[in-house]
Amino acid sequence: MTHPTMTPMRFNASGIRGQSFLLKGIATLIIAAGAAIIMIPFLFMLSTSVKDHAQLRQSPPPLIPEAITTVEINGQEEPLYQVNIDGQITEMALVKNRPGGKGLFVDPARPDETHELVIADQTALTHLEVHWENYPEALRQMKFNKLLLNTLLVTFVGMAGMLFSCSLVAYGFSRFRAPWLNVLFILLLSTIMLPSQVRLLPTYVLFNKLGWVDTLLPLIVPQFFANAYDVFLLRQFFMTIPLELDDAAKIDGASPLQTLMYVILPQARPALISVAIFHFLYAWNDFYEPLIYLHSPEHWTLAVGLQTFNALYAVNTNYIMAASAVMILPPIILYFLAQRIFTQGVVFTGVKG
Amino acid sequence: MQSSLKPSRLSLARRESLWAYAFIAPWILGFIIFTVGPMLASLFFSFTEYDVVSSPRWIGLKNYTNLIHDELFWHSLSITFRYAAIALPLGLVFSYLIAVLLNQKIRGINIWRTVYFLPSVIAGVAVALLWSRIFDARSGILNPFLAQLGIKGPGWFSDPDWAIPALVIMSLWGVGGNIIIYLAGLQGVPTDLYDAAKVDGATAWQRFRYVTLPMTTPVIFYNLVLGLIGTFQYFTEVYVISSGNSGTGGGLGGPARSTLFYNIYLYQNAFRYFHMGYASTMAWVLFIIVLGFTLLIFRSSDTWVYYEGQLKGR
Amino acid sequence: MKKNLFNVLTLLVLASALLSACAGAAPATPVEKVKVVIFVGMGTGTDPDQVDAQNKLAEKFNSTHDNIEIEFLIVPHEEYATRYLAMLSGGNAPQLVGPNGISSVAEFFDTWEDITPYIEAEKLDLSDFYGPAVALNQYPDKNTGLPLGLYPSYLYYNKDLFDAAGLDYPTHDFEDKSWNMDKLREVAMQLTVDKNGKNATDADFDPENIVQYGYDDSWDGMRGTLADWGAENVGRPTTSDYKTAVADSPEWIQGLQWVSDGVWKDHFIGSAEVQAGRDSAGVDPFGPGTTGMFYSHTWYLAEGLHDLTFSADIAPYPYNPKGERIARIDADNFTIPKDAKNKQQAWEVMKWLTSPEIIVDVCRIYGCIPARKSVQAKFLEQLKTDYPGIDYDVIFKSIDYLDKPNNEEWIPEWGKIEDALNNGLSLIYSGEEKDATKVLTDSNAEVQKILDEYWASH
Repeated sequence: MTHPTMTPMRFNASGIRGQSFLLKGIATLIIAAGAAIIMIPFLFMLSTSVKDHAQLRQSPPPLIPEAITTVEINGQEEPLYQVNIDGQITEMALVKNRPGGKGLFVDPARPDETHELVIADQTALTHLEVHWENYPEALRQMKFNKLLLNTLLVTFVGMAGMLFSCSLVAYGFSRFRAPWLNVLFILLLSTIMLPSQVRLLPTYVLFNKLGWVDTLLPLIVPQFFANAYDVFLLRQFFMTIPLELDDAAKIDGASPLQTLMYVILPQARPALISVAIFHFLYAWNDFYEPLIYLHSPEHWTLAVGLQTFNALYAVNTNYIMAASAVMILPPIILYFLAQRIFTQGVVFTGVKG
Repeated sequence: MQSSLKPSRLSLARRESLWAYAFIAPWILGFIIFTVGPMLASLFFSFTEYDVVSSPRWIGLKNYTNLIHDELFWHSLSITFRYAAIALPLGLVFSYLIAVLLNQKIRGINIWRTVYFLPSVIAGVAVALLWSRIFDARSGILNPFLAQLGIKGPGWFSDPDWAIPALVIMSLWGVGGNIIIYLAGLQGVPTDLYDAAKVDGATAWQRFRYVTLPMTTPVIFYNLVLGLIGTFQYFTEVYVISSGNSGTGGGLGGPARSTLFYNIYLYQNAFRYFHMGYASTMAWVLFIIVLGFTLLIFRSSDTWVYYEGQLKGR
Repeated sequence: MKKNLFNVLTLLVLASALLSACAGAAPATPVEKVKVVIFVGMGTGTDPDQVDAQNKLAEKFNSTHDNIEIEFLIVPHEEYATRYLAMLSGGNAPQLVGPNGISSVAEFFDTWEDITPYIEAEKLDLSDFYGPAVALNQYPDKNTGLPLGLYPSYLYYNKDLFDAAGLDYPTHDFEDKSWNMDKLREVAMQLTVDKNGKNATDADFDPENIVQYGYDDSWDGMRGTLADWGAENVGRPTTSDYKTAVADSPEWIQGLQWVSDGVWKDHFIGSAEVQAGRDSAGVDPFGPGTTGMFYSHTWYLAEGLHDLTFSADIAPYPYNPKGERIARIDADNFTIPKDAKNKQQAWEVMKWLTSPEIIVDVCRIYGCIPARKSVQAKFLEQLKTDYPGIDYDVIFKSIDYLDKPNNEEWIPEWGKIEDALNNGLSLIYSGEEKDATKVLTDSNAEVQKILDEYWASH
């Protein structure tokens, strides 16, 4: 085992503090700039969620939800423009298109007087129009409340099962020597190397024989038997924990299980939080498996329900965005809360031995 | 006290092995119940002609030989390789650097972290629709923005040459998951190492190069292996984006088969062409390829991955 | 601490497992009603409004039938293939599948039951159905289902754009042979306008800044686009014995070149980029008012024809260069999977759905013309209320000009050939390739290879 070597070099100790402040400043700037770029698509998503179908059609789509201002002329809604007639600026409505890119404009106060002008030279008027009702409507259409319950059940029970089983299995793979252990680990990893499409039908047949189709069981029960992703991650983390801690525990008379629970797991808190968050995300957004196993809409999870807006002829983008926006709240809140535990995590003071 | 008084070394090793198997037992059980059956079934199918509605018909290695002569097999493999070659390194480095940045003790760092994490939380369907719109050459927002900078934006998802770059950009937006893993790794670096380095007068760069980087190699390794496995099986994003294509857009894998990733072609064989046997063959060929690369990475890990708590004699 | 948590959670899981096991076990009530599950998702029917309407329809059936209970199983459209195949391989195939277009009937052709014995057993009278509608379900070795609805095709045109260009509307006279593809091109070019108001016939026309296109046919694939050009096998890229590929017939090449020139030379058809723009904005080609003529089917009425901000009408599709008119058709039916249980009951439901009393309601949900002659008057009244002001004759007359062999009908390796051909179409629309001869020659070679492989093992 080799420690990363620290070759003694000559450093200017007093310059470090100044350097560190400058670096932090630069870092903050870069972070902020990156965050701004990252947020743009997200803002766009929010903006799309409060538009109606007419507004969705505008191209390019404005970041702030606008709608074309119209005025009623002779019983029909006509778009309003700001027109320039001989230097005078007034507002007129476009009532008819004429050949050559021109159009007939009328002053709403004097609808019988028409002016023929070039449309491209005028400016269409828009106003802010926000359709907050998209949110309750989208949630109603996808039967949010019922699906939320299903999703919470799948997510949290699965998470418990995953944490339980993956901790055990990762511990086994990282803290022991045994014949064929390496082979078994590669076997574990190999289970995710085979494209899942070809296992889909046989797995469905299996669950059907168990009678689990159209229940939440196929999504929950397998979590209690560990999975490659989380075991692998936990194993990597466990392997960064010094063996001296294990030895100390053993000397104190701890069994391997106790070592796991009282020595390893507390040290691996950031990793445990990470896998918990990942599992949450995965279970929350996964629609691939639920789509196959869940038949009745009462059993659907939120991610499956979201698909109802993606119908053959009518993609209701605004509802999809609204529902998705609501769906990101629980994971984000969870992540934000988890941060506290995350950073409190490991302040390792070291064991000299 | 049970173990320490036993004189025989063999027994000690045996005891350790038994503990190991005991802890791994949950996975082994699950593997036997849920996984090995379907996996072996698909291996069997790869030697058959199987259209799902009738029984599989044994044809030996015919699927495998047909695969070698299938132009679309090579085409989809090359697309997948090219994507992996770009997206994997970019994603790994990009997310690592961001994680390092986000590891600072700056006020409000939790909020910044949440912002970077946000994209990976959004449901796949919404992400695909969102980016389809952003990238769209006619009705999107990226090209008008580029136009303001004087650049004529390409067709992105409707241009066979630009579909893959668009997918890469989209995947970089969603690296939040990788960032979390790196953050966890960075958090796990013992602070006394940094203290010692500071005492020795190391600059920030030197602390990074000689403490941070080596100590986080375990999580780099993790992201590399899983990243490899993931990019080779790239499917969902492409599926959602191009399955909306009408005939003129070339359908799934379009435009003009420029996004016909390996798993997409596999999916089509399995569920659209009723060639489940052939699809299984494709799956196992990919399996061999990915396994090969993974083993290579594992083998190389002894030279560059550092574990504080690594057991001798593994 | 963790142990307690684990215990509680283990109990939770066991509890839920028990609960669901109980729920899945034998129900308390004696099962008298046979359940007929109707798998919806291969075609239309998954929109939330449609889901509600279908559930109401189910209530109507269930309240009037003692021995059969129907349930609409809504499957999100993206997943229809995986879910259907999963249910088949799992042994719980649905009793009915639909509404199925000819294409999804073709896609899963081998899984359908032949209903000919059912028809013959009760000597069902099919005379009230449109002859062509029945024929569309008739294949060499099976009849796939009773006809539900038809979707003839014709041109939707934007009257305001015609007015603005100073053009006469397309003729509604089906016998007028001067309305052919050349005339269509001429009219379309004059309807294609750039941002300065110049149309495509003008020397100063700016193809980089087109604001309005004259013609669009982007919602169909290669077979649909080229069926109307009158090749010997019309909409089928193979000969009738399914052994030889004919995608490179002179008529198909002529048709595809017409399209290619329309996109890249004369600029009256929008390219793939233009269409993608509409798709991601969630709009159809016609609704925003930026297309002069849109070639589509009756199902477009349900989606596009009610929010219009301009006047529109419909006109017959033009004659092709061979002097014949072919207006491709779509048709929907319900099918019964071979492997389903209770197929007799499924047959009963199929008859009910296509019965004269119910067929109009069903067609209203899906947007098709009922395939029964006797309900035409009733349906016409419905049309007049839903879509006032269009020439309904065009809809009904267009049925007579349907494409046979149909552009969606089954051929061996249907999915694979479909993808091969649409790849060719995508090459043209994306501009990767503009020469129709080259595209179709290559595509045809690919199709022939697929056919040869198929016949080698069948």
